[in-house]
Amino acid sequence: MTPSTPAVGLRGITKVFGSVRANNAISLDIHAGRIKALLGENGAGKSTLMSILAGHYLPDAGEILIDGRPCHLRSTKDAIKAGIGMVYQHFMLVEAMTVAENVFLGQEPGFLLSPKAMREQVRALAGSFGLDVDPDARVADLSMGEKQRVEILKLLQRESRILIFDEPTAVLTPQESEQLFAALRSMAAQGKAIVYISHKLGEVMALADEIAILRRGEVVDEVPAAEVHSQSDLARRMVGREVLLEVTREPVELRQNVLRLSGVRAGVMRDASLSLRQGEILAVVGVAGNGQKELVETVCGLRAPEAGEVSVLGKSWQAFFADPSWQGGLSYIPEDRQGLAVCKGMDLVDNFLLTTRKGYSSTVWLQRDKAAAVAKELVEQFKVSPPDVTSQARQLSGGNLQKMVLAREFHRRPRLIVAEQPTQGLDVSAIEEVWATLLAAREEAGILLVTGDLSEALALADRIAVMFGGEIVDIFPADDRQRVDRIGQMMAGMKPDAEH
Amino acid sequence: MSLEILLALLAATVQAGTPILYATLGEILTEKGGVLNLGVEGMMLVGALAGFLTALHTGSPALAFMAGGLAGAGMAALHGVVCIWFQGNQTVSGLALTIFGTGLAGFFGTPYVGRTAPGFDKFSLPVLGDIPLVGDIFFQQDALVYVSYLIPPLMWAFFRYTRWGLGVRAAGESPAATRAAGLNVLGFRWAALLGGGVLVGFGGSYLSLAYTHLWTNGLSSGRGWIAVALVIFAFWRPSRAMLGAYLFGGVMAFQLRLQAMGTALPSSILLMLPYVLTIAALAFSSWRSKRTEAPAALGVNVEPSE
Repeated sequence: MTPSTPAVGLRGITKVFGSVRANNAISLDIHAGRIKALLGENGAGKSTLMSILAGHYLPDAGEILIDGRPCHLRSTKDAIKAGIGMVYQHFMLVEAMTVAENVFLGQEPGFLLSPKAMREQVRALAGSFGLDVDPDARVADLSMGEKQRVEILKLLQRESRILIFDEPTAVLTPQESEQLFAALRSMAAQGKAIVYISHKLGEVMALADEIAILRRGEVVDEVPAAEVHSQSDLARRMVGREVLLEVTREPVELRQNVLRLSGVRAGVMRDASLSLRQGEILAVVGVAGNGQKELVETVCGLRAPEAGEVSVLGKSWQAFFADPSWQGGLSYIPEDRQGLAVCKGMDLVDNFLLTTRKGYSSTVWLQRDKAAAVAKELVEQFKVSPPDVTSQARQLSGGNLQKMVLAREFHRRPRLIVAEQPTQGLDVSAIEEVWATLLAAREEAGILLVTGDLSEALALADRIAVMFGGEIVDIFPADDRQRVDRIGQMMAGMKPDAEH
Repeated sequence: MSLEILLALLAATVQAGTPILYATLGEILTEKGGVLNLGVEGMMLVGALAGFLTALHTGSPALAFMAGGLAGAGMAALHGVVCIWFQGNQTVSGLALTIFGTGLAGFFGTPYVGRTAPGFDKFSLPVLGDIPLVGDIFFQQDALVYVSYLIPPLMWAFFRYTRWGLGVRAAGESPAATRAAGLNVLGFRWAALLGGGVLVGFGGSYLSLAYTHLWTNGLSSGRGWIAVALVIFAFWRPSRAMLGAYLFGGVMAFQLRLQAMGTALPSSILLMLPYVLTIAALAFSSWRSKRTEAPAALGVNVEPSE
């Protein structure tokens, strides 16, 4: 490491929201040409710190030095001028405009625009950093990975020197993540200072030059990545206790069949056949958009199968969804928690009743008091915070909302559970809790786990199904090492039995 | 029907379509910036009256046309104060603007009902006016019609080839992204709203200065609402606005001719035709468009932070 002036120096940054010290006297150096990871659980203060650097908040105390000179960042404009650019989790793109128009928005070279020159410039820029994207495509038509590349191109076009990435892989497939990492390394090699916010230990270890660990608003540790020996070492530093990322999975006795698909077609999904028994977890992995969504929607009754047979808990699809029972049936834990699993503006009791109302009604009346008492119990049992059933769903953090959804769904004692990206965006300790809950649920249910996180599939699943191009390419036991090693190739469309 | 009658009908079509064209283009500009303004009908009436009064008192049609545009912008500014400044509901504010504008024009216009004022007269454009058929239809009109021909291509180029056009579109599609790019979202929205107001005001003053040269109450008779519907029919594209405006102009001109010729059809049925066409056009465009073409943040207010 060179002792040169850091591109950005944070000195004693403090930010207080009400009674919460989101950042407490944080000091950090960010150097050009290096990747600095900011690691911490949800609520550790990573995002607040970077929002200060991006000009969204003014710190209550402390100083920001850009190239050694004190600098006041009062607005995003100031931050942009200082060369700081941020890639947000929620993309800041104009969907209806083209890639080139998005890249040049706010930094047009003159009053008149030349679409041709813009296109060429974006293409050249993309090429020099390995960010492959068509400049003429409408942003709305792009995949999440491509949209992220557009965000990065925007920053590169305005020659930002300090690039901040907030959980960039949360929305990416494994392949897209690899491409992103390559681009990040290329940017660092070309002299950019990179800040990488994440709570994914593996990524941070693979990518970062230096790792700063935040806990409860303070930097508790700062280490060169080379000195970190294992993920559990990093996890211990991060949460202050050893986190068991390898959950113990006791095999459970397999009982009756709860789900059977044979030759099912729905949308892009073709000829899907699988069966699931009580007592096992079947993980469905694949690059997003290869039919997983159609599979989930068909199994959960949101989309009628166009061909083939679906039987749920021994009944035909038609018969099951004509009159689904609230208990002992199917539970769906959707990926889109805020949108599909709950109503944001309703309190926890009403949200609890969304799927359990049949159990809490007499004639036409809802038994709200009875439901409130049960919801209260569940909130305590699942350690949902805040432990107040009158709070609205929107007031809960992602992890707590997920716990609430799980509590509600398990209260229904389902025999078939469809869990879609159940730990996406959660911190390590929340992931651990969700995993433990799912494993315990196998006693009573068969679980279809759709996940983009291969390590999650390997940690939980008894069997793994790989989807590509709308088809289930292969289904195999999770302890079949040979085929597990070939999952990546299968996800990319290679036949499971073909020689490579 | 002889060729002469047909040509006269088509020329009348262009003339009847012109005020609708101005108003539709104005609303397209406004909505591209993300502001929904349902006050077009009221703005047209106020623009028509402002144009008429200015022509009456100064005798200058050009000045009167400008005054109409200015009055439209003034009305749009009211909408802006409610919706951009105070974050009010855009639908309610727009409806109120129509009611307010109708009342305002009626109140100040009643003493002038039946009075005439100088306006724009038709003249044949050199060369272009001599082209057979096309010249007869398009180039033997008044000056305001010729001006209206220029606006759709200019607006198209504005959106596609200028920095401000890009900014207006971005402000209407994604205020958050626009702000993140360091642009002034509310500034672009104000500019699009006021610019659109000028065009709507032009459309109104066309009615009193060129279409008729006299004042009657309720001069716009629903053309503002037709313009609002045409924006959707046009998929927010200036070129399609031209098509739509002339389609409606055609029906209006046609039903007038039919009435004049004394057909057996009751006049109320004929008067209904443009509005029936409005509903049909809306149904058609909803059925035709594969994805929603509306600006994504249309009608969504933006917090004035930063």
